[in-house]
Amino acid sequence: MSVDAPARTLNVALVGNPNTGKSTLFNALSGIRQKTGNYPGVTVEKKHGSFTHKGQKVELIDLPGTYSLAPRSPDEMVTVDVLLGRQANEAKPNAVLVIVDASNLERNLYIVSQVKELGLPTVVALNMGDIAKDKGISVDVDKLAERLDVPVVATQANRKGGLDQLRDTIVSLLDRDSISPESPFPAEFCDKVSQLHEKLQKHDAESTRYLAERLLLDTSGYLEKELTSGGQELHNWIVESRNQLAELGQPVPAIEAISRYKWVQSVLDGIITREAARKVTLSDRIDRILTNRVGGTIFFILIMTLMFQAVFSDLVAGNLMGYIEGFFELIAGLVDASLADGALKSLLIDGVIAGVGGVLVFLPQICILFFFIAILEDCGYLARAAYLMDRLFSKIGLSGKSFIPLLSSFACAIPGIMAARVIENRRDRLITILVAPLMSCSARMPVYVLLTAAFIPDETIGGFLSLHTLVMLSMYLLGILAAVGVAFVLRRTILPGETPPFVMELPSYKFPSISGVLMVMVEKGWAFVKRAGTLIFAMTIIVWALSYFPRNEEAATAPFANEIAQLESQLEGANEEEAAQIEERLVEINNQIDGELLRGSFLGMAGHWIEPVVKPLGWDWKIGSAAIASFPAREVIISTMGVLYNLGGEEDEESAPLRETIKEAKWAGTDENVFNIPVALSIMVFFALCAQCAATLAVIKRETNSWRWPIFTFVYMTVLAYLGALITYQVSAAIMLS
Amino acid sequence: MFPDIPLNMVQPGSVVRISQVVGGQDDVKRMAEMGLQTGTEVEMLQSGSPCIVRVGQSKLCFRQSDVLNILVSTD
Repeated sequence: MSVDAPARTLNVALVGNPNTGKSTLFNALSGIRQKTGNYPGVTVEKKHGSFTHKGQKVELIDLPGTYSLAPRSPDEMVTVDVLLGRQANEAKPNAVLVIVDASNLERNLYIVSQVKELGLPTVVALNMGDIAKDKGISVDVDKLAERLDVPVVATQANRKGGLDQLRDTIVSLLDRDSISPESPFPAEFCDKVSQLHEKLQKHDAESTRYLAERLLLDTSGYLEKELTSGGQELHNWIVESRNQLAELGQPVPAIEAISRYKWVQSVLDGIITREAARKVTLSDRIDRILTNRVGGTIFFILIMTLMFQAVFSDLVAGNLMGYIEGFFELIAGLVDASLADGALKSLLIDGVIAGVGGVLVFLPQICILFFFIAILEDCGYLARAAYLMDRLFSKIGLSGKSFIPLLSSFACAIPGIMAARVIENRRDRLITILVAPLMSCSARMPVYVLLTAAFIPDETIGGFLSLHTLVMLSMYLLGILAAVGVAFVLRRTILPGETPPFVMELPSYKFPSISGVLMVMVEKGWAFVKRAGTLIFAMTIIVWALSYFPRNEEAATAPFANEIAQLESQLEGANEEEAAQIEERLVEINNQIDGELLRGSFLGMAGHWIEPVVKPLGWDWKIGSAAIASFPAREVIISTMGVLYNLGGEEDEESAPLRETIKEAKWAGTDENVFNIPVALSIMVFFALCAQCAATLAVIKRETNSWRWPIFTFVYMTVLAYLGALITYQVSAAIMLS
Repeated sequence: MFPDIPLNMVQPGSVVRISQVVGGQDDVKRMAEMGLQTGTEVEMLQSGSPCIVRVGQSKLCFRQSDVLNILVSTD
C-alpha cells in the first residue's frame, strides 16, 4: 500500500552578483505575491515571494546581490546563514537559483563555484543574453550545464523570457535532496578543511564543512569571532595550518581567488565565443559622454535639475498635493459639521487630521522622487552618478555611494536613510545615515518661506539676485556644509579607521523595466503611508494632548464673557455691515481665548519654563513653545504659532495675517518687537539644523538596530541647532541692532 | 622594461596587465573577487582617481587608496 507523501514546499533562495537582473527575475517569477521585511538585528532587506507551477508551490527568498559568499560583515553573514539554514525564523532553502550575467560569465561563475560547494540542488539562470549578443558573445548553454553539472536555463528577465522553462526546472529540483559538492581547491587545502570540520563538529555537531572552509579562508578574524568561542587552541591551529598551506604554495586567502578563477576558466574553455575585435557597444558610446568629467557633469546637473523640478513643481507634485490637502479639508469639514465642540472634535481635527494629513501631503513628492531614482538605477545611470560624485565625497571621507541617500534626503530623510543600504561598508553607511537628516527636507520649506517673506527685505543684490532667494539658498547650503563638517568630525573621532578600498561595477545600460519601477514606487509610497498611519499618528495625538490639557475654559472665557454676550445680542438687530464687523470681533475674541488656553496648556507651561534657555537665541516663550511642539514633526510650528499668536490654527506659510501679527508681536510689558531679522535668521538656522522629526529617529533606530544612534543624532543635531541659532542671533544682532 | 606604475596613472585607451596588488589580505581578496588580480589584463577607460577600467567584460570604477594599490606593468 502506498501512501501519498505530503506535499513538500520548495524553498528556493535567489543569489547572484549585483546588476544581473536578479530582482527583475524575482519580480517576474513571483508577480505581486511578495512581501519585504528586515532580518532582525541587521539592515539586510529580505524579500519573500511565491508562485505555483503545475500544482507545486514554490517559496522564493531574494537575497541581497553579492559578488561572493565570503562573509566579512553581519549583512553578508545573513546571506550565508540563510543558505545554511542557520537564520532563525527562516526555513532552510532546499534549492538555490543562481542568476548570472551571460555577458560576464568569467566573473559571475565565481559565486556559482561557492554555491555548488554548499551541496544544495542548484539551477543557474543565464540572464541578459541580449547584452551578451550586443557584445558579440555567445555561450553554448547545453555544454555549460554539462560542465557545471547543474541545469542552466537561458532567461531574459526584463522581457519575461524563459520563465516557463525556469519554473519547470525549479519544480523538477523537488526530486533532489542534494548535489555532490564540488571543491575547486587543491587536495592539501581540502585536507585541512576536513580536519578543521572534524574539530568544529566536536563542539557543535551542526557545523558545516562550508563554514569550516570559510573559517580557514577568513584572515580578517570576523568568522572566528562569530562562530567559535575564540578558543586559543583552535586559533593557534588555524594560524599554523595557514602557515603550512603558505609553505605549500597555497597562501590563504589568495588561494580562493586563484582556485575559483582556475575552475571558471576550465568550465568556460571552448564553450564561450567572442568576436575577435571587441565590439563598441551602445553602452560604451553613452559612457564616453556620461562618465566624461565635463560632459558627464553637465548631464548630471541637467538630470538632477529635472528631478528636483518634477519633485517641487506645481505641474505634477503641486497639483497632487493640492488634491490630498483638499481631501483632508473635506474630511475635517465633515467632522466639524457632525460633531459638537469639545475634546473629541479637537482631537480629530487638530490632532489626527491635521497631523496625519500634514505628513501624507508629501506622498506625491516621495513617489515622484522614488520613480526617478528607480528609473535611474534600473537603467544603470546611478552608478555613473556615484562615480562622478566620488571625487567630491572622498574629500570628507565618504564615497560616491553616499550620494543617492543624501540626494533622497532633500525630499525626506526617511527614504534617504533607507537608501543608505546600498553602501556595503558599515562605517560609511552609518555616517551617511547620521548626516542625512541635515539635508533640508521639504518639511523645512514652510518655515523658511514664512520667515523670509516676513522679515527679509524684498531687495536685490547687484540688480538681479533677490535677497529672499539668497536666504533660502543659504539655508540649504547650511545643511550641506553642516553635513560635510559632521561627517568629517565623525570620521576623525568616534568612527575612525582606514578608508576601505572603493570599487564599484558600472553595469551596462539597459531599458528600465516599467513594472519594476512602478513596484518600487508603490512599495516605498506604501511604507511611507504606513509610517504616517502609525508613528506620526501617535505623535500628533501626544502633541495635541499637550497643547489641549489642562483645559480651563471658564477661566479663559471669563474676561470676555460680558463682551461676547453683548456682541451676540447686538448681532440680532444688526444690518449686514454691522453684522460682519461683530462677527469679525467674535472671531478675534475666540482666537484670543484659544491663545489663552494654549498658554495655560502643558505645552504653554513648558514654553514659559524654557524661556531662560531660548532667550539668548532672541526668542520669547511663544517661539520656544512652538519649537517644542515641532520636535515630533517640524511642520507643526506654523500651526502652533498661528494658535499662539491668536490667529487660530488654520494658518499656513502664505498667510498674510500671521506674517503681519508676528511682525507686530511685542515682548510682554514692553514696546519692543519680538521678531526682527536676527530672530528670524536664528529660528531658520535652528530649524535647518535640528532633528525635529520623530519618524526619522525611528527609522535610524530600525536601520542601525540600536537606540544609541537615534539618541546620538538627536543630541548632536539639537546641540548644533542651538549653537547655530545662538551664534546667528548674537552675531547678526550685534551687527544690525547696534 | 618599464617599472610598475599605479593603475590610476595609466593613460586612457591603454591596455595593461596587473603585476601586483598591494594591501591588506582582505582588501586584496575583495579586489580579486571583483576580478582585479595579478595577471589580469585591464583596459583604462577613464584615468584619474576614481578611474574606470574594463576587466574582462565588466567596467569597474576604482579608487586608488592608502590601503590598497594596484600596480601594473606597461611593457
